[in-house]
Amino acid sequence: MTLLQCSGISKRFGGIRALDGVALGLEEGEILGLVGPNGSGKSTLINVLSGFYPANEGAVVFDGTDVLAINPNQIAGLGIARTFQIPRPFSTMTVRENVAVSYMFGRREHGLDEARHAAGEWISFTGLGDAMDADVSELTLHQLKLLELARALATEPTLLLLDEVLAGLNPTEIEESIGMIRRIHERGISLVIVEHVLRVVTSLSDRIVVLDQGHVIASGEPDEVMSDPAVVAAYLGGRKPDA
Amino acid sequence: MSSRARTLIGFGIVAILLAFVPNLVEALDAPTFYLTFLFSIFFWASQSSSWNILTGYSGYFSFGQGAWFGIGVYTTGVLAGKEGWSFLATLPVAGLVAGAFGLFIGFVVFRVRRLSGEIFALTTLAVAFVLASVARISSFIDGGIGIFMTGTELPEFLGDSRTAIYRLILLIALLTVLSSYLIYESRVGWGLFSIRDDEQVANGLGVPTFRYKMIALGTNAFFAGLMGAVWSLRIGFITVEEVFNLRIPLFVILMSILGGMRHWMGPVVGAVIIFTLTDRLNSAGLQDFNQVLIGGLLILLVLSVREGIYLRMRKRWLASAVIFFGSMIVLTLFELTTSLVWTFSFALLLTMPMLILPDSLWAKLIRRSPSEDTPEDPSEIEVAAT
Repeated sequence: MTLLQCSGISKRFGGIRALDGVALGLEEGEILGLVGPNGSGKSTLINVLSGFYPANEGAVVFDGTDVLAINPNQIAGLGIARTFQIPRPFSTMTVRENVAVSYMFGRREHGLDEARHAAGEWISFTGLGDAMDADVSELTLHQLKLLELARALATEPTLLLLDEVLAGLNPTEIEESIGMIRRIHERGISLVIVEHVLRVVTSLSDRIVVLDQGHVIASGEPDEVMSDPAVVAAYLGGRKPDA
Repeated sequence: MSSRARTLIGFGIVAILLAFVPNLVEALDAPTFYLTFLFSIFFWASQSSSWNILTGYSGYFSFGQGAWFGIGVYTTGVLAGKEGWSFLATLPVAGLVAGAFGLFIGFVVFRVRRLSGEIFALTTLAVAFVLASVARISSFIDGGIGIFMTGTELPEFLGDSRTAIYRLILLIALLTVLSSYLIYESRVGWGLFSIRDDEQVANGLGVPTFRYKMIALGTNAFFAGLMGAVWSLRIGFITVEEVFNLRIPLFVILMSILGGMRHWMGPVVGAVIIFTLTDRLNSAGLQDFNQVLIGGLLILLVLSVREGIYLRMRKRWLASAVIFFGSMIVLTLFELTTSLVWTFSFALLLTMPMLILPDSLWAKLIRRSPSEDTPEDPSEIEVAAT
């Protein structure tokens, strides 16, 4: 079943077309890798899908609902959650409180006391159990990225948009995080992964979509996409063969 | 027992005790200025708590307190002072008019224009100026001649006029602080805290940001207006200059920052401290130095106690309690002051230096004192080893 269907999405910043007629679909239970050179529009697409940027044109249908017509908080209510490339925790709250807030709102409404208990489950799942009651100012970058994940998961999403969760991590942390993403997927959550580390995306994803200058230039199985001449050209900075 | 149940029981006990203070004052034949002193504190505790529901919880810095307060004063002024309504009947009307006006402004700034930061602060300030002009021009409201409230009568069952004002103000203050606490301990409160920290992220996680900001602003304006309605009696002769000045917005900001904006008790504690000190300086004939002293104290406290006096007091509760009650007892036993209010003020003042000490210095002091009873002395350890 198709969970997410985007068609003709355009997003302009002044005269720059960050997204230009992007169309893609996501099946339920799928891991979709979103790759492309810097400035190709990957993060912009995440921001449009989660309602952070209004799109200039196009349609995004998630589970039968038009996502572009509603607020970010209503999008969260549908079951779409996201993480931020640069972690944005609630800075005056502890780790537990950060996750509790997200569980309280998120896809379903929960009470305060219930949320304080339930938060522990997500914090342990992401391996932050030791930092449960720490202030966020005490966390390392890796821990902050895990908190982003815990907070997104606590909204009980059916679709999770991961914006460069691995950027800035060392090789050991990257390996741990890959395991974490697999475990998240095993819980039945569909994923869109934006990532620079191509090795990671190709090994995790069922399907890959390549963006370049706001256009989709290729999509399909990881192996065939990564050997596509247009993709190679985009990554090596050459001209597109057909353009 | 849950901490919520304990807080609510404590709240009830304090409420009952304070409600019977007028009877106690009468029974002991104590001076009635005790009542005036207390209800002035309640007034400020309510004003700053209501302000804190918007600004402390959601982070939207408001200078609009005077506007909501003024709407309450003038609603009751016009209805009871000019139109002959019964005073009590005007109170809910005043609260609701102020609340509705707050929601209208909220709709404009949060939905139509999406203002935040300094623009939001300046807009709320401008609202008060506009209202002041409207009141001055409109002869239905004020027309520049003021409104006498002296003919307004309070119902007999509330006691004599001072006791009646005391009980009404106490009731409204209790309702304000209770609301502030209940919001603090609820989804709305946590939604607002997340808006304060990062509104965009909060929105993305499912917090209905617009609705929650409206709740915070509406509650703030409602209680500010309700208290303004009762305060119109205290003012006696309502004028635009008396009502729409900067005193209210600046004092609630001061009190909340000093007490601590991150906790519902912060504004209450701030109101007690700042009102007590300004009131005592005035009564000592030092009103000229008042602003210098209060300003200096504020700078000192804000720089040294970032989290606010209340949270600092809680961390150092034992030392605070010992110094405060110790001073109260000593000052009373040796009859060093002329009244209980002075004793209370000096005890408050004597507690301050300990609270101002930075955390690092405090930690050193704490570590030293218990080590004196334990055998940490090197010679003793050596003796034990051999």
